[in-house]
Amino acid sequence: VTGNSPAPRVVLAKIGLDGHDRGVKVVARGLRDSGFHVIYAGLWQPVEAVVQTALDEDADWLGISLLSGAHMALVPPLMKQLCEKGLQDVGVLVGGIIPEADIPKLEALGVRAVFGPGTTIPEIVGFMRKEQAEPETDDLVNRFRQKDRRALARLLTLAARGQAVGATGDEASAKGRVVAFTGSGGVGKSSLIGRLVELLRAKDRSVAVLCCDPQSPLTGGALLGDRLRIAKGGGDPGLFIRSLATPGGQQAIAQNLDVMVGLLKTYGFDTVILETVGAGQGDTAVRQQADTLVVLLQPESGDELQWEKAGLLEVADLVVIHKADLAGADRVAAQVNEHLNLPGTRPIPVLKASAAKGEGLDQLWATIEQKSP
Amino acid sequence: MASLAVDPKTRSTPPPEKPVPDRADPATTVSGVPIAPLYSGADLARLGVTEDKTLGRPGQFPFTRGVHEQMYRGRLWTMRQFAGFGTARQTNERFRFLLEKGQTGLSTAFDLPTLMGLDSDSPKSYGEVGRLGVAVDTIDDMQQLFAGIDLEQTSVSMTINAPAAIIMAFYLANAQEQGFDWRKLRGTIQNDILKEFHAQNEIVFPPEPSVRLVIDLVEFCAKDVPQWNTVSISGYHIREAGSTAVQELAFTLADGLHYVDECLKRGMPIDQFAKRLSFFFNAHNDLFEEIAKYRAARSLWADLMRNTYGAKEDASLKLRFHAQTAGCSLQDRQPEVNLIRVAYQALAAVMGGCQSLHSNSMDETLALPSEHAVTLALRTQQVLAYETGVVNTADPLGGSYFVETLTEQMRRQALDYFDRIKHEGGMLAAIGSGFFRREIAEAAFAYQKSVDSREKLIVGVNAFEEDEEQPLDILKVDEEAEREQIRNLNRVKKNRDNSAVRKALEGLKRAAEAKQNVFPALLEVAQVRATVVEAMDAMAEVFGRYEPGELS
Repeated sequence: VTGNSPAPRVVLAKIGLDGHDRGVKVVARGLRDSGFHVIYAGLWQPVEAVVQTALDEDADWLGISLLSGAHMALVPPLMKQLCEKGLQDVGVLVGGIIPEADIPKLEALGVRAVFGPGTTIPEIVGFMRKEQAEPETDDLVNRFRQKDRRALARLLTLAARGQAVGATGDEASAKGRVVAFTGSGGVGKSSLIGRLVELLRAKDRSVAVLCCDPQSPLTGGALLGDRLRIAKGGGDPGLFIRSLATPGGQQAIAQNLDVMVGLLKTYGFDTVILETVGAGQGDTAVRQQADTLVVLLQPESGDELQWEKAGLLEVADLVVIHKADLAGADRVAAQVNEHLNLPGTRPIPVLKASAAKGEGLDQLWATIEQKSP
Repeated sequence: MASLAVDPKTRSTPPPEKPVPDRADPATTVSGVPIAPLYSGADLARLGVTEDKTLGRPGQFPFTRGVHEQMYRGRLWTMRQFAGFGTARQTNERFRFLLEKGQTGLSTAFDLPTLMGLDSDSPKSYGEVGRLGVAVDTIDDMQQLFAGIDLEQTSVSMTINAPAAIIMAFYLANAQEQGFDWRKLRGTIQNDILKEFHAQNEIVFPPEPSVRLVIDLVEFCAKDVPQWNTVSISGYHIREAGSTAVQELAFTLADGLHYVDECLKRGMPIDQFAKRLSFFFNAHNDLFEEIAKYRAARSLWADLMRNTYGAKEDASLKLRFHAQTAGCSLQDRQPEVNLIRVAYQALAAVMGGCQSLHSNSMDETLALPSEHAVTLALRTQQVLAYETGVVNTADPLGGSYFVETLTEQMRRQALDYFDRIKHEGGMLAAIGSGFFRREIAEAAFAYQKSVDSREKLIVGVNAFEEDEEQPLDILKVDEEAEREQIRNLNRVKKNRDNSAVRKALEGLKRAAEAKQNVFPALLEVAQVRATVVEAMDAMAEVFGRYEPGELS
C-alpha cells in the first residue's frame, strides 16, 4: 500500500438478500483512499458468484457484508467453495451484524476477522496491512498450461505489475478475437459489453473482459465497479472478468495490457473484450491491442459533436451510437457518417444500439465479426 | 466486544490522551450543519419567520406547530413497535405479548424473502426465512398472523414495498374471510418503492412498473378501504443509508410529490387520496436538528398541497408521520448505552409532533430484540408519555429562536434539492442517473471520516471506551422456523385448486398487460391461495426485472 509494494486487491460483496449497503460502500471508499484496489461485486450475490469473483479478480482479501443474520447459513458454504477452488490464501473478512457467540464459529471456519457496526476504517486498514498474506506463486506457468484458472488470475496480476510471466504458450496460434470498446464516461460501455457478453454466452462462446478504471494519483487506490454491470448473474465459468486500475493521468488503458491479452488468448478464450477508462480523450493506445476498435458515442453529444474526439474516430473500425432510444440518435449517426465516410476513404460502419432496450446487439456483433474474420 | 474479533491492540485509532476529549469547534449537527453559539430574534427577522405568517398555530395551516390543535393533550401518539420473526404463528404470539404490555398498534416486519417477493422454498431464500421478520407465502400465513386479533379495533402497519400490493391483497382477502368490514379497517402499508431505489434496495421490478403498482394500491384503497394509509412515504431508510437530515427531508417529500403526480395522472382528485398519504421519518441523535426537520416537513407539505396542487380539505394538507429511532446510531460496544440514545431520539420525535413511534431496542446491533430489550424500549415511550410532562402542551419548542431558525433553514435547503431533482430531469431520471445514491453515499462517507478522525465522538466507540464489556443475552432465532414454514407452504400447495391458481395468475398477467389496475386480480390470486412468488413471477413476465447497476 505504501512505497513500492503493489496495491492489495480487495473484493467486496453482499451475499444473500439483504440490501443494507451503507457499510460496504463506506468501507469501499475508505479502502480506496487507503491505497487498496477495491472491486465491488454488488448486492444479492450468490455464494458461487462471489467465489468466482474472488478467483478471477485474484483477490488478496474478500470482504463479505451481511446484516441479515443469515451468516451461519451462507458463510460455511462460501468457505467450503473457496477451499475447493484453492483460494485458502484469500483473507476472508465479514462485516455486519454478527452476534458475539457466532464470531468464534466463523473464525473456526477460516474467517480472518469480523467487523461490527462501530468499526472504524483505520481499524480495518490497520488489520489488513498487518495481516496481508503472501500469495502463492508456485508453478504458475505449468498450472496455466493445464488450464488452472487460479494460475491465469495470478499471472494476470503479475503481468499488470510489470513482472515476467514466463513462457506460457504460443499466443500466435491462439484464435481469440480481441475487441476494444472506448468512449466517454457515461456513454454506457459496461452496459453494452454486458449485453454482448449475454449474447456470446448464449452462443456458448467463452469470453474474457478486461475493464479499466482510473486509480488515484495520490493514494494509488482505486474503486473498480464495472464488473457488476457486466456479470449479471455471476458464477458462469465461461465468463472471466478482470478489473484493472490504470495509473493516473490521461491513460485510457492499464499498463502491460498486451501481456494480459496474450495470456487470455493463450488460455483459450474465444473473445477478449477490452473496456477503456472512458475518459474520452484521444488515447489511441488501445488501437494496437485490439483486432477491432469500437467507439461509442451517445445522442447527448448532439449538435456539438465533440470533434476533439475526431482522433479517436479516425482509428475506429466501427462507431456505435449508443442509447439509440434517446432523441437525436439519428442526427448524431448522420453527422458521424458525414465526417468519417468521405468518398474514397475506407468505409466505417456507423450503427445504433441500446443496451437498455436490448436493440441493435445482433447486428453490432455480426459487424464486429465481419470486421475481423 | 473487541471490534469484534480483532485484537484491540491492532486498532490504529489512537487511545484518547485525556479522559475527556475536546469537543469539535466549530460545533456542527450530526449532519455537519454549523450551529451558532446563540440565536436571537434577529435570526428570525432575517429569515422572515413570524408567528402569523410562517408558524401559525397547532392544528392550523401550515401546521409547522403540529397537525392537531390539542396535540398530545388530545391523544397520545401510537406506541407501535415493529415486530416479526419466524413463522406467522410465532409472530402472532409476539403481537399478543405486545398488546398485553400496553402497546396500542401493531407493526409487522416481514422476512427478507417476503420483502423480495420470494417464497420460503425459493432457492435464494435459503437461510433467510423468518430471520428478520415473519415469513408470509400465502393468505393462510396472513390468517395465522392475525389470528385472534380484532382487525376492526387494531390499527395494523405492514412494512413491505416491492410486493406491497400482493401482501395488501392477502390482508384484505383474509379480513373478508374473517368477516371484517374493509371500510372499518385502519392501518398503514409502507408501499413506498422510490426510497428502495434511493437507499434500501428491496427491489424486484424496474422503476416505472414499480411505481405503477404503488398507485394501483392507492387507487383501489381510496375507494374501498377509505381509512387505510396507502403509502408511508419513508425517509427513515434514506437516513439509515447515511443521508443528512436535509437529504432525508427533501428526498422523502420529493418521493411524495411523485406519487401525487402519478395519482393525478390517473384522474384521481387530490382530496380523495392525499389525506391517506402518511410519512415515516428517522429520529436521529441531534435533538434540535430532528425537531426542526419534522416541523419543516409539515410546513413544506401543507404549502405544496394547498398552493401547488390545490387541495381544499385540511386533512389533505396535514403531514402525519410515524417516527423510528435511528438504527444506524446504535452501537455494538457498551450496548446498554443505546437505551440512552433511544430515549433522547424518542424525545425528539415527540417534541417534533409524531403521530406514532417505534423506539429501537438496545440489542439491535447484535440480533433481533429480546423480549427484555423490547419491553425496555416500549417503557422508554411510556416514561416520556406519562412522567416527563412533555405532552402537556402543544409544540413546547414553538417560537424558540434556535428551533425556528433551523426549521426555516431546512425548509429552504429542501426547496434547493427540489430544484436539483428537477434539473436532473425529474424523479425517475434522477434515479436513473444515480443522483440520490451518489448524494447519500457522499454524506455517509463524510460522516464516517468525521468519526474516524474523532471530529465526531461516539460514546464507547471512539471515546470513553471500556476494555471489558459484559455481553447481553440476545434472542436466538429458531432454526426450525424455516423448515416449519416450508412444510406449511407445501401443505397449502397440496390442498389448493391448482387450476384455479393458474386461472387467477393468467388474469393477473392480463390485467398487467392491459394496464388495468391489477389490484382486483391480486385479490383473486390471494383467494385461491397462490403464493407471493407466483404472483410476482406473473407480473415480472410483463414488467421485467430490475437489474442492480451503479456502485455510486
